[in-house]
Amino acid sequence: MKNVKFSSVGLMDILYFTTRPKNREKMIQAASTKPLIAEYETNRKAEERHPEKQDFVITDIVEHDENVKSYFLKKKDGTNPAFFRAGQYVVVRQYIDGKLIARPISLSCGPDFSLDGKYVITVKRAPNGFMSNYILDNWKVRDEVVTSGPQGVFYYEGLRDAQNVVAVAGGSGITPILSMAYAIMAGDEDFNLTVLYGNRTEKDILFRKEFEEICKRTDKVKVVYVLSDEQKDGCESGFVTAELIKKYAGDEQYSIFASGPQSMYTFLDGEVAKLGIAQKFYRKELFGSAKEPWKLNGYPQDAKDKVFNMHVKMCDKEFDIPCNANENMLVALERAGIAGPNRCRGGICGWCRSKLLSGEVFIPENTDGRRDADKVYGYIHPCASFALSDVSIEVPNNK
Amino acid sequence: MAGKYDAVVIGAGTGGLSAALALATAGKKTLLIEQHNLPGGCSTSFIRGRFEFDASLHEYCGIGSKGDWGLPGKVMMEDYKLNINWLLVPELYRCIGVTRSGKRFDLTLPVGIDNIIDVMEKAVPGSREPMKTFFDLAKECVDAHDYFSDHIFDKFDKNDMVKVDSMLYLKRFPNFLRLAERPFNAVLRKIGMPEDAIDILDVYWTYIGMDYERLSFVHQAWMLYMYATKCPAICQYNAHGMTVAGVERFRELGGELWLNVKANKVVSDDKGKIVGVDTSVGFVETNYVIANVNPQTAYTTLLDKRIAVPEREIKKAHAMKHSIRFFNAYVALNKSVEELGIKDYTIFMPGTFDTKKNFEASKHYEGNDHSVVVTYNVVNPDASPKGTTVMTFTIAYTEDVWAKFSQREYVKRKQDLFKRVMDNFEKDTGIIIHDCIEEIEMASPWTFAHYLKTPQGTTYGYDTNDWNTMVSRLMCIKKDQPIHGFKTCGAAGARGDGYSQTYINGKEMAVLLLEDMKEDEK
Repeated sequence: MKNVKFSSVGLMDILYFTTRPKNREKMIQAASTKPLIAEYETNRKAEERHPEKQDFVITDIVEHDENVKSYFLKKKDGTNPAFFRAGQYVVVRQYIDGKLIARPISLSCGPDFSLDGKYVITVKRAPNGFMSNYILDNWKVRDEVVTSGPQGVFYYEGLRDAQNVVAVAGGSGITPILSMAYAIMAGDEDFNLTVLYGNRTEKDILFRKEFEEICKRTDKVKVVYVLSDEQKDGCESGFVTAELIKKYAGDEQYSIFASGPQSMYTFLDGEVAKLGIAQKFYRKELFGSAKEPWKLNGYPQDAKDKVFNMHVKMCDKEFDIPCNANENMLVALERAGIAGPNRCRGGICGWCRSKLLSGEVFIPENTDGRRDADKVYGYIHPCASFALSDVSIEVPNNK
Repeated sequence: MAGKYDAVVIGAGTGGLSAALALATAGKKTLLIEQHNLPGGCSTSFIRGRFEFDASLHEYCGIGSKGDWGLPGKVMMEDYKLNINWLLVPELYRCIGVTRSGKRFDLTLPVGIDNIIDVMEKAVPGSREPMKTFFDLAKECVDAHDYFSDHIFDKFDKNDMVKVDSMLYLKRFPNFLRLAERPFNAVLRKIGMPEDAIDILDVYWTYIGMDYERLSFVHQAWMLYMYATKCPAICQYNAHGMTVAGVERFRELGGELWLNVKANKVVSDDKGKIVGVDTSVGFVETNYVIANVNPQTAYTTLLDKRIAVPEREIKKAHAMKHSIRFFNAYVALNKSVEELGIKDYTIFMPGTFDTKKNFEASKHYEGNDHSVVVTYNVVNPDASPKGTTVMTFTIAYTEDVWAKFSQREYVKRKQDLFKRVMDNFEKDTGIIIHDCIEEIEMASPWTFAHYLKTPQGTTYGYDTNDWNTMVSRLMCIKKDQPIHGFKTCGAAGARGDGYSQTYINGKEMAVLLLEDMKEDEK
């Protein structure tokens, strides 16, 4: 081997090698002894953008009708709430009967509202909706409300989506779309938005005034009202079909952003298939858990209506709780008052990821958002899993 | 009171997981706690649409195969007995750019020493002999490095420095003594390496985070030799699969993992002796703690005020410079690699190959064009659904340049940067991707700061520059961990950044902690 030398004799090499740590020591000893910095600007901004929680006070409530209200929120400490991307949601954390319940609720304001120190969230009463009923019946001005930071990935991304967006919204699914319209008006987003807003009747339309105001200020936003149960001048009637989408989409490439109830998606999926557009141009807001699993393919019917035992290991604690086969496993944890972190409740975000130690569960395919390794190693997302037998799971702490 | 443990490891990043595995393997009742709801730290993945994205892993170095494990491979597969299916990357990298001499290269370096030498000779005539010499020297450095690592805990001097048997090294590894601590490029010049070949070998700099005029020879030589002889390796189920494999083994060994649990304080008695960890689920009794955090974080927020932090530790933290941090764009395309024409797992696009200029440019948002492009499907056809491709684009920063951006402009900064990187990629490779992006997510130092809580969102710990080299840090492996019963591990540790490195570092910190335990038993 070639003998490469930096110095002529072997002993000098040893000297060089052994003096390196001494040289390092000199550099260390020459340094300052002043206190170390505990937090940097980047860390501060990161936490400002992705706060673990935000403490709010309700400053105003707008009643759209008896079943829909918008809540204006201001941070308790007077700081601005986290900036967000139009279309995102917050998880509202509310104690109901002494149990901490968390539900995702879309922001119905533009991101620029946060720079004025406020958020607006809109809640619609869902039949048997645990949280929505509680909020609509209980929240008052000056009440305190705790939410997560902004979450979710239902937003416009110019690197991915077409310049023209056709938004298909159903009922209260309009809120993330309204947020996008505000963002376009404020210059935080730059795309053309055509909203096909479906409702049963004209009086069910939400935010009509707000949309009129936005459309006056920017020609990038257009709204078409689509009524299924009545005919009105200036409104389309029926459902949002492929034909209707084509009529308003124009000739250029467009993306479809859909936000509404599961029944709307079921219909819309069929219509969008007729359009023959690439999968990337069809995006859906997907939070909300799968319900009535016995109606889904592959569900073993004999589990329906049963109540199983769920053994839960959480850090140094263990619990045995009932788990209704008809409800997802996160609900069982919530009913027992021991639910841990969760956000989307639709199997996608992975926040409630838990280890299935034993037992059988049913995981609907279209809400199976698990990582590949988690499928192999037996991890589940309780919000999108249904017990088929007694089960034992290990869950994250529910601080 | 949540029970008593022989040891508590705070943070389930790669270093912490390794430390926990080492302690559990040694039969210690070990608790691993993680503030996030998911273990892994950087070694994780996330889902968007129908795609799973690897958050940060490009590849493991020095794995090898059964009967021929490299040092990290030995730790994972023999010491810990992890159940991992490794996929080997059949080349080092493709690199596209202009050298300091003004020549443009678009070159793909294969694996295998002879293959690399052949390709280099063809691209840079006259490099054959120096390349041969380089690999001979690298081999000796690898042998010496591995010998050094095997014997690192044999003997310490009165200052807690590793005692090296100089005469043995002089006899067996004379070139290691001469060259290990010299700058990489200086050694290449000494052996007559043509400057263009030096440039081409320097593109790895973002994997270590230091320009190669200042990085020590052994650091890069070890990595290059390992990649050349054992191939870069990835886990079948990406970096998250790697983490879960570690966690499952840790469970088998009787270890406990608590997720979504924050360690508030490492608590001591009035004499500064560690008595437990105060966590978000209560007090955990233990006398021994390893924290997978930057020492600066440990000293400013984690340690009980009654635990005396030696002044040298404060000085050391000031003397060292926070190393690089990243912007990553994770992109899923609705075309296959065949349709796109992507053949290479790793493509370095440095713009200029000038390592010093690159390093300088990485202090800025503008003009910092050294990007690394990884296409997972090239090696793992199951990385995404059939007919699709997942890629990662990475840009490194040596300074806290993202701190100045406002909340409102932040997204646009990310988008503008990726547009620039994508334009360069399309121009340099002729591969068109902008019209088939189905999912995209972008992570900046803010993102890493949020999930990892590291200072400034750094991922590589501290600079391994010319005075703070890997070997000189390793010589101080004990001296740099002066608090009895408490160690820090991870990228800010002796071996610097990298999954392979932090796996070894976690084990080494566990060894030091076990020594503290033994000392107390006496």
